[in-house]
Order: sequence, then C-alpha cells, then structure tokens
Amino acid sequence: MEQSQEREELTLVARKPCFDLPTACPICLPVYIYLKLARIPFTLEFNSIYPDSDQIPYVEYGAYVAYNNENDGVIERLKHDGVVDLDSEFQSVPEWLSAKAMISSWLANAITYELWLGSDASVAYKIYYSDLPWPIRKFLFLKQLYSVKQRLGITKDNAQWREEQIYKRAKMAYDALSTRLGEQDFLFENRPSHLDALFLGHALFTLQALPETSVLRSKLLEHDNIVRYAGKLKMEFLEANSSSSAPQPHSFPSSSAPRRQTSNWSSKPKSKPKREKTEEEKKFKWRSKYFLAAQGLAVLLFLSVMGYGSAEVELEGDDEGFNYD
Amino acid sequence: MSYPESKPDPKPQQPVNATDLDEEDDLDDLDDLDEEEIEDDDAFIEPERPKSRTAEERAREEKVKMASLVRRMQSGAVSLRVHDVIIKGNNKTKDYIIEAEVEALKNASTIQDLLRVSSAVNMRLQALEVFDSVAIRLDSGPPELPDTTNVIIEVVETANPLSGEIGAYTKAEARSYTVEGSLKYKNLFGYGDIWDGSLKYGCDHSAEVSAGVSLPRFKGLVTPLTARAYLLSQDWLKFSSYKERSLGLSLGLFSSSHHDLTYNLAWRNLTDPSQLSSKTIRRQLGHNLLSSLKYTFKIDRRNSSLRPTRGYSFVSTTQIGGFSPDSRSLRFLRQEFDLRYAIPLGFYRAALNLGVSAGVILPWGDGFLSRPSSIPERFFLGGNTSPLCTLGGPTTLWGFKTRGLGLTEPRRQINDENADPPERDYLGGDLAVSALADLSFDLPFSWLREKGIHAHVFANAGNVAKLTENEYRNFSMRKFMESIRGSVGVGLVIPTSLFRMELNYCHILKKNDYDRAKSGIWLTFSAPS
Repeated sequence: MEQSQEREELTLVARKPCFDLPTACPICLPVYIYLKLARIPFTLEFNSIYPDSDQIPYVEYGAYVAYNNENDGVIERLKHDGVVDLDSEFQSVPEWLSAKAMISSWLANAITYELWLGSDASVAYKIYYSDLPWPIRKFLFLKQLYSVKQRLGITKDNAQWREEQIYKRAKMAYDALSTRLGEQDFLFENRPSHLDALFLGHALFTLQALPETSVLRSKLLEHDNIVRYAGKLKMEFLEANSSSSAPQPHSFPSSSAPRRQTSNWSSKPKSKPKREKTEEEKKFKWRSKYFLAAQGLAVLLFLSVMGYGSAEVELEGDDEGFNYD
Repeated sequence: MSYPESKPDPKPQQPVNATDLDEEDDLDDLDDLDEEEIEDDDAFIEPERPKSRTAEERAREEKVKMASLVRRMQSGAVSLRVHDVIIKGNNKTKDYIIEAEVEALKNASTIQDLLRVSSAVNMRLQALEVFDSVAIRLDSGPPELPDTTNVIIEVVETANPLSGEIGAYTKAEARSYTVEGSLKYKNLFGYGDIWDGSLKYGCDHSAEVSAGVSLPRFKGLVTPLTARAYLLSQDWLKFSSYKERSLGLSLGLFSSSHHDLTYNLAWRNLTDPSQLSSKTIRRQLGHNLLSSLKYTFKIDRRNSSLRPTRGYSFVSTTQIGGFSPDSRSLRFLRQEFDLRYAIPLGFYRAALNLGVSAGVILPWGDGFLSRPSSIPERFFLGGNTSPLCTLGGPTTLWGFKTRGLGLTEPRRQINDENADPPERDYLGGDLAVSALADLSFDLPFSWLREKGIHAHVFANAGNVAKLTENEYRNFSMRKFMESIRGSVGVGLVIPTSLFRMELNYCHILKKNDYDRAKSGIWLTFSAPS
C-alpha cells in the first residue's frame, strides 16, 4: 500500500481522552504513540459505548481496517500490511524481542492489576464506563472485574501472593529497562520503535492516570531517567505541533470527556496542552520579531559605521512594533 | 365457553317461574331466552289448579306465558331493574375482578337492555381467559320490590390453568413473519393474572425469549396492564454486518381498540463478530440504553385484513426515545403513518386497494442534525412479506429483498489478492416513503373461489433518504422523487388459516445499482397485522 497516499486518511479509533492523555486506555495509548513516533498524520476518534470490545483500538483508512484482536494487535497488523513499520531491523535482535515480551506481559499485567484491583477502580470507571448509562456501566464494570481476576489467576487464597509477584516483576522490569535506557532518547539504537511506543504508553499512563497512592507509580518514580524519558518524548511527539489533526469525538453517542487535572509527576508545572500551544506560538512570534529587529539594527550599524550617512532604511516589521528588551 | 346465540331449554321439565311484573298480566316464562332463566318461587300467581295437573298442561302453560312475554317485549320496553348482582363459583378469583366487568348490568332498566348488556358482560368475562364457562341468570328480586331482578353470575374457573399455543404473526416492528410458541398459566394469584412464557422465531433471523404477565385490573386503571421481560436477538450480519441483542422490559400502559401506549426499557448491544462491517456500522457498535414511549393510534374499518375489499384504515405510530433521567440513553423521535383504502369494484369480488405510508426518524438534543440516527431504529424497505398485509408504516416492497432498498456502504476490505470485491452494508434511511396499488379479484373457477384463492395485480414504489449528519442540506424533493424505486407484478393469493401466501411474478421497474431486487417469481408469507 502506498503510505503517502493513505496516510492523510488514516483514522485511529480509541477510547476517550482523560487524565491529560490523548486516549486514557492503556491498550490504545501505545498505538497512538506508535503512529506519532512514525510521524504519520492521522485523525483520532473515540468510541465510548463499547468498553468490553477487544477490537478497539483499530486503525482504518478507506475500506481497510486493522483491529486490535487480529494478528497480535493493531501495530503488528500495520507492520504486516506494510502500512507503517518502525521495527524492521529489530525483529531479529534478541534483546529487543525479550524487552518487548517483558513489557507486553509483566508490565501489561501490572497495569491491568493496578487499574482494576490495585485501587478502588475509579480510574477504570472513568476511562471505560463514564459515558454509559448507569445500569449498563455497573453491570459491565462488575463483569470486567471478574474477567480480570480470571485472566490474572487471582483467587481469594492467592491474592496476596499474586499481588506481590506482580509488583516484584514490575520492579524488575523497570530496573532492566532503566538500565537499558540509560540517558538515551530511545530504548534501542537511539531511534523510536514499537518498544518505545509500548513503554512510553505504560509510563505515561502510570504517571498521569494512576493515583499518587499507587504502588506501581511509586516504583516507576524511583527511576529518574524513565521519568525524564517519558516527559521528553511526550513533549516531542505528543504535544509538539504535528501534522495530525486535533482529536474530535465522533462516536455515537458523541462525548467529549473533560480533561482532569492530575498531579505533577515531573519538574515542569502541569498545564493543559491547549494553553502550552498558545504560549509556544507567542514565544515563537516574539523570537522572530526579535531576530528581525536584531538584523535591522545590525544593518543600520553597518551602514553608519561604514559612513553611508543619512541613508534611510525601512524596517519591515509587524504593526505591533518591536520590543528591544 | 362462548356465549351461545340460542340453545334448547336445558330443563324442559322444570317448573316455570317468573318475576311478578304485573298482577294483571300473565307471568312471563323466559326459559327459552338464551341461557338466562328467571326464577321466582314466590311471586308467581296462578289460579289454583288441581295438584295432579299433568306435565302436558304445565308445558302448555309455559308456552302461553312465553308467547305473552315475547309479545310484550316486541310491543315495547318491559321495565325491569337490577336489584343485586350475585357472583358464584369464584373460589380463587377476586370478586372485584368480576364486579368491574359487570358494572354495566346495574344500569339496565328494561329486559331488552338487560339481555343486551348481559351478552356483552359474558363476552368480557370470557375474554379474561380465566374461566371455563360463564352463565348469567336472572332471578326474582325481593318480593317487596316489584319489577326487580337479581342477576346471578355463575363462573366456572378454569380447571387446567396451564395452556400452550403455537401461532404465526406478522408484526410491523419485526417486518417479517414470526412463528411463536407460548405457554400460559392463568389466574395464579386470583387477580385474573395471566403469566406466559414464549419463544419466537422470525423469518428475519430473529429469536426472542420472553416472559410476561397481564393484569386485567390493576388498582384504578381502566385498561389492562401488561408487563413483559424479553431477551431478543436479531441477526443482521448478512445485510448490515451487525447482530443486535436486547434485554428489556416492556410495559403496556394503556390499550383500547384505537389507542395503545407502551413503555420500553431495554439494554441493547450491537456487535459485529464477523469484523467486516462498514464504517457507519462500526461507529455504532456497542451498548445503548433504550428508554422509549410508544403511542399507536389505529383505526381499521376494512372488512378483512387478509383480503380487504371495502373500508379504510389508518395507523399512526409515535415513538420517543430518551425518557430517562440519564442523558446518555438513546434519544430519538420516530413517526410513522400508514393509510389504506379499499374500493369495491362490484365484479368477481374485485377491489382496488390503495395505500401510502411514510416515516421519519431524527435524534434530538444538542446538535441533533449533525449526529447519526440509531441504526436499528432506521427505516429499511424490503422483505418477504406482502405490503398489503403489513400495516403500520413503510416496511416492504414487492420484488425487493430484506433491507434491499436504500443507502449502502462498502464493508471492510480484506487484504487478499484473491478476495472478491467487498460487499456492502445496507444502512437504511431516516426518511422513508412507500405507496402501493393492488387490484384483487376472484378467478372464474368455483373451486378456487370456495377456497378463497384469488388473483391480484399490483404496483408499488418506495424510497429512503438520509437526513442526519447534516445530510438534510443535500436533500431535495426532486432528487428524492427521481430516485424512487418501483415494481409491478401479478400473482395468486392463497389464504390459509395461519397465513396468507402469495405466489407472484414481480417486474422491477426501477432500482439503484446496489439495491437487492430481482424480477421473477416470489413467494411471500404474511399474517394479518
């Protein structure tokens, strides 16, 4: 398939945004990040009435659809169909494969446990069920709770032991990935891959969506380089001006969830992406005016020093004038 | 037990007694008047006769009295008031259930009135379905109150409360022929309550399991109250790539001959196990809460619903979804009209049936015109039933397959070089209009006429359009009329006790590229609706 032609029509359907994340679902977020890492323009749409679907997230363009419950997930399907592939050179690297398996199993289980069983599950409720009417959401939530316990093999007898095992494995994974990452920008060969999408999605969700009392979150915060890694990539790929359009709710019934202000997990003060974008634009404009003013002044100085006297030079600038401070 | 029009005197040897209406008049003998008897042991005045009078003499006397009564009734109203209504035989059924049905008896002032009202009361009590037989007798009133009677209602409660039945129906909502089997348990608590469980299977790939209860009298309500819990599954994978499952509760709030008001609360889930659905269907997959009120107004003055040859009918159905404090339930407004007129032509029992029907659905709330309407609530034209028999809105057209007319969208494309081009999903429309004309007539063969088999020539047309998601801006009546589909045909109609079967040849006059319609032989099955 020709990527250049179909990229503009690409649509990612994911769960609703929340907790200052473009999509708050820990399964949908890595797919979003992967498309961002690949710098593919796409439209983000939401489905907030089908929380128990394993088809979501899915990517579509035209009549082509890549569902998450096919071919090991959306990203693998996109790679298989030649839509986008960041991992062509990593597929045979054992360390890359084992890191990916570790994130896809240990860390995925840890997120699942923390989201549904670790706290009062209010986070899960907000992400998956807040847009459904009361009797439906209550039943689906209880059904999912039961399903998660089944999937993680948690019973009344082994609950304590299983929890410890999950947290222990998560900690081991964080230690290993922190060592692997070091001070690099990406986990492997300093370029983005599926692994970064998975880990960044996990890290952002853990840091922004989980409550401050979360055990998993506290374990992740112990690794400064991971926190810096998450913050940096978020700034660079998720919040920077990109060619993708702004998320627009399109599901039926349509919903646009309000973004909740979460606690800061980095040194930067947390603010809404919309406000930061406007400030950056202002900053850019100010810098451009300053640059032009500096150039104009340099030309004037040159002319006066070289003795061209009273030559009039017109400075072209904004009507707003320049600030020489 | 039905109310017999006439039956022989059950006890021809019983002594004749009558109420004392007038001392100067012969006392009347009412034994032969249907199943009602008038008994009065005290008021009968007769001249003293020898005790040993023969049976023949007594029979002669009764005949004289009866003739006298009939003459009096024919000449004018015979005054008679109801003093009391006595109910007998209801060991389980509460008195007030029966009393509510017999209220009208107390207002009767003549024998003629009383007979007429008694007939109606008998039918109403039979309609409760909790009695094996109902008998209404007239007994003399207290001797100090002349011209009065006591009405005695003797009921025999059903010995076997459990019954089952199998039937075939056509419902406007189902748009298809449905076979239903049900079990009923009658009068469990003595309130005339009927509990039933049923299994239905429809030709539109639908299956339903339901259980319900019907109460003839619930507190102060005038009409019966019904409640039904159901689990409904409809498979539309072949036509629109989705399956619908609903778990709900339906309450019949008010029902009379012309008006019907129901409330429906349902949890509905649309899924696509095939994972081939088109974009529009994909966007609507998921869970929804349906909380709607539906009002139906119906007048049917046709002489038959299977072969109408005279009369007219009109049905208006209004459904409002979103009756819930939760704003996340489905919000829509759906309106349907259906008007039919049958004109007798006076030869070979020929009749011309004309019909026009229309429907529209729109969501309501903020930005309603930019939102899509719910797929299951949209209008789909096409199906294997006769448009003549499906009353209630635009549903079918001769020659067009189920959901075969309307807007379509390509399904998901499988990335396979050998794969066929993707099929299309039928999406229905927000606005639908259809019209029909049907000329039916007997065939010149007596054997066919005896069986009710007749022929018909027909023509119909219809169209659907999308109005939501801002498509109303592109809508124009001219384009709508230009894209109308139509078909004509001729066929044989074979009515049976369960359904009406048509063997037709249809010719498609006009269809769009993706419409599923074909010219040829069609076999349709319809049950009266």
